[in-house]
Amino acid sequence: MQTLSWQAVYVVLLRELKRYWRAKARIVSSVVQSVFFLAIFGLGLGGLIGGIGDISYLSYLAPGIIGMSLLFASVFSGVSVIFDRQFGFMKEMLVAPVSRTSIILGRIFGGAVTASLQGIMIMIVAGFMGAFEPSLALALGAVAAVGVMFLITSGFVGLGVAIGSSLNDFHAFQLLSTFVIWPIFMLSGVFFPIDTVPAPLQIVMLANPLFHGVELLRWCLLGVGTPLLGPFGWMINLGVLAVFNVLMIILGAFLFSRAQV
Amino acid sequence: MGSISIIEVKGLSKVFKGKIRAVNRISFNVKEGEILGFLGPNGAGKTTTLNMLSTLLRPSEGAAKVNGFDIEQEPDAVRRSIGYVFQEPTLDLQLTGRENLDFHGRLYHLKKEDRKRRIEEMLQLVQLTDRADDLVKTYSGGMKRRLEIARGLLHHPKVLFLDEPTLGLDPQTRHSIWDHIQRLNKERRITIILTTHYTEEADFLCGRILIIDSGEIVALDTPEKLKAKLEGDVVILVIRNPTMVLRARSLFEEKKWVRRVDVFSRENTETSPDLKMEKMHRMRGVSRIGGMMGEMGSGEGGSIRKQKPKRHEDIPEMEIDDGNRRKDLGSKQLNLLVDNGSHRIPEIVKLSEAAGITLESVELHKPTLDDVFLSVTGRNIREEKGSFVEMARRHHILQQARGKRGVG
Ligand SMILES: Nc1ncnc2c1ncn2[C@@H]1O[C@H](COP(=O)(O)OP(=O)(O)O)[C@@H](O)[C@H]1O
Ligand SMILES: [Mg+2]
Repeated sequence: MQTLSWQAVYVVLLRELKRYWRAKARIVSSVVQSVFFLAIFGLGLGGLIGGIGDISYLSYLAPGIIGMSLLFASVFSGVSVIFDRQFGFMKEMLVAPVSRTSIILGRIFGGAVTASLQGIMIMIVAGFMGAFEPSLALALGAVAAVGVMFLITSGFVGLGVAIGSSLNDFHAFQLLSTFVIWPIFMLSGVFFPIDTVPAPLQIVMLANPLFHGVELLRWCLLGVGTPLLGPFGWMINLGVLAVFNVLMIILGAFLFSRAQV
Repeated sequence: MGSISIIEVKGLSKVFKGKIRAVNRISFNVKEGEILGFLGPNGAGKTTTLNMLSTLLRPSEGAAKVNGFDIEQEPDAVRRSIGYVFQEPTLDLQLTGRENLDFHGRLYHLKKEDRKRRIEEMLQLVQLTDRADDLVKTYSGGMKRRLEIARGLLHHPKVLFLDEPTLGLDPQTRHSIWDHIQRLNKERRITIILTTHYTEEADFLCGRILIIDSGEIVALDTPEKLKAKLEGDVVILVIRNPTMVLRARSLFEEKKWVRRVDVFSRENTETSPDLKMEKMHRMRGVSRIGGMMGEMGSGEGGSIRKQKPKRHEDIPEMEIDDGNRRKDLGSKQLNLLVDNGSHRIPEIVKLSEAAGITLESVELHKPTLDDVFLSVTGRNIREEKGSFVEMARRHHILQQARGKRGVG
């Protein structure tokens, strides 16, 4: 019971992928939504602001929008354990001779892979929109960015699972979404750099894991760091993100394994 | 029927939240190769028992062995030994039938060859081969149920648990599921435990029936023996006038040769499961309102009537049609359990006439499992029991099962 079965992790992950590909309309609409954001804010606001530092506003915004899409996709994927429970499929998984940990790790990694796929698609579209300078550094940075995406998403799927395992209905999730998910998004530095806000807010932003995720994506894709954190800011970003990731996966797995059938 | 016990249950209990005793110290054995039915009303503790035997729930007291493995010490071995078809649908609707089976096979670590072969075999068994690659959301209720049965068997279990296998299915589909269950048991020698609150289902399918009520076993035997124990016949008197009903009741309760008298509203008497299903489905959503209006004396509302077949004690009775039209309840029936019924009928008729009781009709039948249930629990199995939440949940299941209904 207690042992981890990688085959079970893989099977559950595979199911997530299949279901993801089947919902093509959802994929298209979420990618298109992000592209709208990029186009409207990037080009519209960009025209007004010009740029941030020496990069265009569109470029500045692109990693932020990727981060936004990762956040929503992964939290939603995690929370949808509620639906698995509601539509009964959870029982099919829980009565199998595999540990709950294997099942939930499959669920978390599956959600992380699908949410990251979405992030990759947006990254590619943003590239075509001219958000990133083509170079060898960008090619390497993009690969690193995919890794960062996986860190961000697996952490937030874990958070979603934790929420979904503690809540019994979807309405409660909407409350949580207003008071937790949206603030995480608003204070992640998607639209503005951290040094433009007052100090107390800066502290809040520094405590926000998504902020570190977005900054890390910027570092990978644009080569700019967080001035506030100094030249090795990316290490801090990575460190915070990694700690968040591990904590959320543990929390999600713990709450999931305690949840009623 | 082998005499080896494949399941041994000793003093098993489940107490929820420290106070709700859902299952109370039950003990029984299941023999290899038999079909054992748990018969009991909603909330009797059937699902809770299966959940303990399948290791989904920890027992509060007692112990059990499934296929020789202790449910608390060796849960993985127990899980591999059983297939469990849950009360509510548990398929992934976004996957195809084959993918659902494949998921299951992988989760149970079936090797690739075995998995492929077994999936084909099971699909054939439940006659879903030609629909295997369609998404499950396009399946009818009966097809979904058959797919779940196929899935439950995929990993070569010794025992199959079927929790209310035909809940919410239409009559034709129900009969086809019954056929499948019987064939599984006969041809493949699979031991089956099924739960039901349909007496016809238990009677038709089960070698032995365990009657469970409020978490306790009240009887366990073959359907024939259970019925034979009642020793006698059931004479049904249909009477229209409510005061005459009361008079008839006290009249016959005094007679030594009458062993039981039970009064039902006539609506309660149809024995066709099909009709009953329809009724059950219809009654769910509003039964609480109906009950409350009943208590309030139900003067002005007028549009609500009791949905549940009620026993005599609960008059006043009102009824509604789908058209919400109020009308008086038609007739009542007295069920008399008597020795040698056919010979007593003339006497019964004479006595009634003498007491000024007008009989609409007189029927005679051998005791059914309904009568058995009544005699061992003192209640009619069709009386609803359980919380509002429970009823709402079942309503939801019914609707889900019926969502895409068709001939299975
Ligand atoms: N998780 C639970 N928490 C509290 N009470 C429960 C739970 N599950 C079942 N019950 C209660 O236990 C009793 C038996 O339920 P159940 O086993 O589902 O009955 P059945 O399957 O025979 O309809 C009911 O009163 C039900 O409300
Ligand atoms: Mg049940």
